[in-house]
Amino acid sequence: MTRLSKTIAPGLAVLIAGLVLSAYTRAAEQEEEPPVTESFTATQFGERTPGGLPDDVEQVVVGSEFLNLYTGPGRGYVIDHVVEYGEPLWLLKRRTDWVKVMTRSGKTGWAKIAELDQIVAPDGEPLAVSTPGIDDYREQGLRFGFTYGDFEGANSLGVSLGYRFTGNISAELRAAQTIGAYSNSQTYQVALLHQPFPQWRISPYFLLGSGINITSPNATIVATEDRQDTAMLTGIGVTTYLSRRFALRAEVANHYLLTSRENNQEIVEWKLGFDVFM
Amino acid sequence: MEARIRRVYVKLACALSFAVLSTAALAQGDAVIDEIISPDLERREIREAAIDSEDFEFTVYAGGVLSVEDFGTNRMIGGSLAYHINEDFFMEAAYAESELGLSSYEKLSGSAPLLTDDERDLSMYNLSLAWNFLPGEIFILDRWALNSNLYLIGGIGNTSFADEEYFTYNVGAGIRVLVKDWLALRFDVRDHILEHEIFGEPQNTNNISAQLGLSIYF
Repeated sequence: MTRLSKTIAPGLAVLIAGLVLSAYTRAAEQEEEPPVTESFTATQFGERTPGGLPDDVEQVVVGSEFLNLYTGPGRGYVIDHVVEYGEPLWLLKRRTDWVKVMTRSGKTGWAKIAELDQIVAPDGEPLAVSTPGIDDYREQGLRFGFTYGDFEGANSLGVSLGYRFTGNISAELRAAQTIGAYSNSQTYQVALLHQPFPQWRISPYFLLGSGINITSPNATIVATEDRQDTAMLTGIGVTTYLSRRFALRAEVANHYLLTSRENNQEIVEWKLGFDVFM
Repeated sequence: MEARIRRVYVKLACALSFAVLSTAALAQGDAVIDEIISPDLERREIREAAIDSEDFEFTVYAGGVLSVEDFGTNRMIGGSLAYHINEDFFMEAAYAESELGLSSYEKLSGSAPLLTDDERDLSMYNLSLAWNFLPGEIFILDRWALNSNLYLIGGIGNTSFADEEYFTYNVGAGIRVLVKDWLALRFDVRDHILEHEIFGEPQNTNNISAQLGLSIYF
C-alpha cells in the first residue's frame, strides 16, 4: 500500500500539472474565438428583422458552418439558398422532418431537422428541434395505429391508441369492426402490453386485456338480437421498426367471450398492423 | 518473546500511520482532480425550440363520383383526415356517402326494384396508408412552381348499403398540388373492392371513385 502510493505520487503530480496546463491553454483558446452569437455575421446588420414575419416565432442563430435551404419539405427539392455560420433564422413551422425558416433578408425555405443540430438562441443558449421516434423508446410516448385482422374467418379493421409508460410496459385502447358472412361485430378493448426486450430489432410482446364484443347477426340469415358480451383477451405478437417513427406489428390474440348462453366462446384473431409514434 | 511482541507493535503502528497518511494523500488528490475536471463535466440543458407543427391534413371532397358496379354512377360527398408520418408516408381515415342508382336488370326487366330508397343510400369509411412515391414540382407558365406529390394509397374499410355491411379493400393513386404551404388540391382515384350477394350469389365487385379534394394542413 505504502510502496504503491509512493510510486504513484510523482506520476500523479505530473498528471495534475499536465491537466492544469491543458485546461489553462484550452481556456485561452476559447477566449480567442467569440461565441457564434457574437460572430461578425451575427452582428453584421444589427437587429434587422425581415418584413412579413409572423408573431411569436422563435429566432435562432446558425451554429454550423452552413445550412442548406430547400424549396420544399422533401429530399428531392432544390437547394436554392444557403445560410452561413452566425446568420439569424426564424423558425416558422415544422412539417414531418422539415422546418420552414425565414432568413434575415425575408427569404423562406425548408431546412432538414437533422441539419438543425447546431442552432442557438440569440442569448447563446443551445436549442434543439424535437422529433419523436425510436431514439425515445425508453421514454414515454403516444402511438397510433391501424390494424387488419382475421377474426375467425371474418375480416376486421381496427384502430389502436397506445401509451408507453416505460420501455417495457404500455397500455392500449383498441376498437375494431368485424364484418363476416354470418355476423358483424364491434370490439372495444383495453389492453396492457409487456415488451421484455424493447431494444431488439424484432421485439416480442405479450398482452392481456378485457373489453366488450357487440355482435349483430346478419338479418338475412337468422333473425336474432344483437348481443353484448364481455371479452377477456390474451395474446402475443412481434413489432419491428421500419423507420424512426413507424413500426409494423403482427399479433395473435385469443378472445374469450363470457356469454350469457350455456357455453363461453373462444375466438382466435390474427392481426397485422402498423403503429406511428406521435 | 518480549522482543517479538514489541516488533509486532511497531509493525502495527507503522501500518496504521501509513494507512492514515496514504488515505489523506489520496483524499487530497481527489479534491485536486475534482477541482480540475468538474467544470468540463457540467451538463448543458438543451431547450426545445418553440415551433408549430403541421402534420395533419384535412380534406373536403369538393367534387366526387362513385361508380358502384351494376348500380350506376352517382355523386359522392365526404372528407378525410390524414397524418403525415414523414415526407414519404401518410396515413388517412376517410368517410364518404353516395347512393345507388337502378341496376341494369331493374331498368331492362321493368320489374319491381330490388332495393328500397333507404337501401340505396351508401356510406363508407376506410383506413389507408399512402406512399408519396413521386414527389416533385409542377410548373405553370413562367410564374408558378408548385410542389406536388403523386401518391399510391391502399387500405381497408367498411361499406354499408342495402342494409348490409361489406368489408372493403381500397387501392388507388392520387396527385396533390400544394398551392400554398398549408393549402393543397388533391385528385384521387380509388378502386373499392367488395363482395355482395344482392343478385343471389356472391359477386366480387370493383367500384371506382374519383374525387377532387381541397385540403388544409394544420
